[in-house]
Amino acid sequence: MKITQDIKDSTIIMTLDGELDASSSVVLDEELSDPEIMKYKKILVDCRNLNYISSAGLGVFISHLQRFEDAQIKLIFFNMQDKVRNVFEILGLDLLMTIVSNYEEAITIADE
Amino acid sequence: MFFLADKSTLFKERNFFLPFNKLNSTQEYKQSLPVLSTVFRFMLYKTNVKSLLVTAAIVSWALLLGNVLLMAESARQPGSVKLALPYLNNLLIIVFIVSVFIFQRLSANSLKGIDFSSYLWNLFSKAAIAAYLSIALYFAYRISTGYARLQSPLLLHLVYQVNFGLLVFFLAKAFYIWRQLLLYHKNRFLQVAWEWFEILLFSTLVLTLLNFNYTNYIFLPLFILMGLYVLFLCTNLKWVAYLSFNKKSRSLVLLGAILVSCYIFTKFFQEFADSPALIIDYSDVAFLTMSMLFVGCYTLAAFLVSLFSLPTSSVFEQKSDDLLNFQRLSQSIQQGQSEAQVYDLLFESTIKASDASSAWFETSRGNNNIHISHLLNINAEKIERIRHLLMAYNIQQIDYINNNLDRNTGFRDLALPWKSLIILPIKSKQRMFGTLYLLRDIEQGFDRETINVLRTFTSQTVLTLDNLRLAAESLQNERYKEELKIATQVQESLVPKTFPSDSWFEIATHSKAAKEVGGDFYDFLQLSESRIAIIIGDVSGKGISAAFHMAQMKGIFHGLMQQDMPPSDFMKQANSALSRCLEKTSFITSSLYIIDYRMQGFVFARAGHCHTLYYNAMMEDVFYFQTDGLGLGIVRDKSYNNHVREMYYDYNPGDVMVIYTDGIVEARSPTNDEYGEDRLKYMLTQTYHLEAEDIKCAIINDLEDFTSTDNLYDDQTLLVIKFKPIQQKPDNNVK
Repeated sequence: MKITQDIKDSTIIMTLDGELDASSSVVLDEELSDPEIMKYKKILVDCRNLNYISSAGLGVFISHLQRFEDAQIKLIFFNMQDKVRNVFEILGLDLLMTIVSNYEEAITIADE
Repeated sequence: MFFLADKSTLFKERNFFLPFNKLNSTQEYKQSLPVLSTVFRFMLYKTNVKSLLVTAAIVSWALLLGNVLLMAESARQPGSVKLALPYLNNLLIIVFIVSVFIFQRLSANSLKGIDFSSYLWNLFSKAAIAAYLSIALYFAYRISTGYARLQSPLLLHLVYQVNFGLLVFFLAKAFYIWRQLLLYHKNRFLQVAWEWFEILLFSTLVLTLLNFNYTNYIFLPLFILMGLYVLFLCTNLKWVAYLSFNKKSRSLVLLGAILVSCYIFTKFFQEFADSPALIIDYSDVAFLTMSMLFVGCYTLAAFLVSLFSLPTSSVFEQKSDDLLNFQRLSQSIQQGQSEAQVYDLLFESTIKASDASSAWFETSRGNNNIHISHLLNINAEKIERIRHLLMAYNIQQIDYINNNLDRNTGFRDLALPWKSLIILPIKSKQRMFGTLYLLRDIEQGFDRETINVLRTFTSQTVLTLDNLRLAAESLQNERYKEELKIATQVQESLVPKTFPSDSWFEIATHSKAAKEVGGDFYDFLQLSESRIAIIIGDVSGKGISAAFHMAQMKGIFHGLMQQDMPPSDFMKQANSALSRCLEKTSFITSSLYIIDYRMQGFVFARAGHCHTLYYNAMMEDVFYFQTDGLGLGIVRDKSYNNHVREMYYDYNPGDVMVIYTDGIVEARSPTNDEYGEDRLKYMLTQTYHLEAEDIKCAIINDLEDFTSTDNLYDDQTLLVIKFKPIQQKPDNNVK
């Protein structure tokens, strides 16, 4: 699992590369818990190369969801593979989180 | 005879693997090889050979005596018939010598171990004493003949003959005990050199047999060369170094006594050499001269080396003590010793190695909590004063050596009786174990060599302590594993083993945890006569925490469903209950089904759990129920109520419902493909006509083919429910 951050103004683009399993979730949790991240208004998560997400990985996003909402930070997933999207949908997360198909859409929604 | 004393030990022999060259019965032994079992034969063989040798020695000696006496008698009376055969003597001498030497060669093999002074005692008590016996015998003869004023050539011959026997016995015993010592820590070269020496020595017997005079000038250079060879062999005295001071002094006494024995024998036989009174002269036997040369030289060499190494033996003793203590330290792990015992050993060994006059050891427990556990020749008050001074200099708990305390004003003011101090902290990278303080009453008390040894001791101690800790930890891990086993058993008992068997449906279940305990669960509850609630769930994560939440969820299911509520209400209340106890990153997915066979329908709600796979027998269609529903514990307020839906469905006889967890559809093949919903659906289209149990088996077999390893990534649970046509009541059938 490789997590890279790309900062553009008030936007962080976080790229997830590989499999988000129990051990890499810990790394992701550390990155999302970083107080620095609260400075930004928009977090865009690029899931193009995210091949697998475990329940632990989902748990990390779920645990931060409320915090970001309270701080009015937008969390947007894009470029998600079908099988990963299916996991989000089965759990009902597609109704709670913003999942769009590509970067342009993500930017548009983020700027609303 | 004298060697009979050894006979009692013959039968105690257990060394079956002795060399058996040069033995007469080798041929017979080889012939009998296929007949007898190996070990038994070895034993018999050795015992037989030994008793054979003893018999040969006694018989040859007795015959020799008889022959010599006969010859002496006939020499005295020139007129009588010559009954004795002079050449027979040489043959008998050789037989006697060879049998005694081989007998001793076999006996010497049983000497083992490194208690060399016991070798010497063995030699002295069993053989060297013979010299004193022989001299006593000779004087007894002199006194008796002197007293009676008569010449008795027969008696003289008898004494001479007995002394010859004693000499050969002594030489044989000494020769082979020296061999054992000489070959201690041998190398290949020395082994070969010794074997050649033995061969050369025994070959001199041929000279005796052929009655050559070995002092002849032809043989003289050869014997000088042989003498040099003996001198070379005498330089191999490695065993002397292993004697401690005490043992060395005891050995010196024994070696001196043996040396005297050599002298007595040499003197005795020299005196009678070329004596006109005797008709036989054993000093002509080259073999005896050569072996006496070797025995005497080696004894003398050993005596001198022991004598001169006496002053240095304490150094060697110290080193071997250190080595032994290192061994004890490193072995204390296997012996299951505690930390305290390791400290004891360290304290003892370092004091010995440095010859410290005073010492103390502090064990540290956490922050500045120091406890003095070992003391030697020092009181607490002095320690306190030294510690204060060290604290002032800020040099406690670091490596510190002061070989001249008087030069330091601080120490001089304390007026301590010591002149040298060394501080050795015992610490690993992670932990401080304690500090060792050693004091000596002389200046320059801790030289470089001693410090190196002390440092080796402390690092070995740290290693030992670390290893002890590791051993304790692995024991603890074993215990955890045991407890995990119990957890597995407890969890297994939480999973229902039997479902209510009824005529209107059949059910088959499969569940397998990836680790010892898992987060998958399923359960049922009979709500009323015609209604049954079935729940399946999956807790996020794996292992112990998942297992706890699974047990919690089971409790919630049984608690809430007592009140018989619709599935959507159950989900709402379960979410609210779990919100309060589930940690933030955990959530639970679940589906709850309430089946009513009287109404031929079921109602269910899905909370983020995998979609239910269904086969409708009427429409002959296989599909997934696509309903919305959010997992439990994701939204932890009332807004969850908007995220759960309920669905009613009327079933037909022959319908099949497949309920499972994501461990099934997310199972991976070796090429990292997922099993997937499509393949599961396909499996049901192929198998829906089978019984529930067979459908389950078909799916699981297909799944196992797909993953093809026993290595599970996630817990797997699968339930197959098949609805059956309503049977007529049994009493209706009778009518």
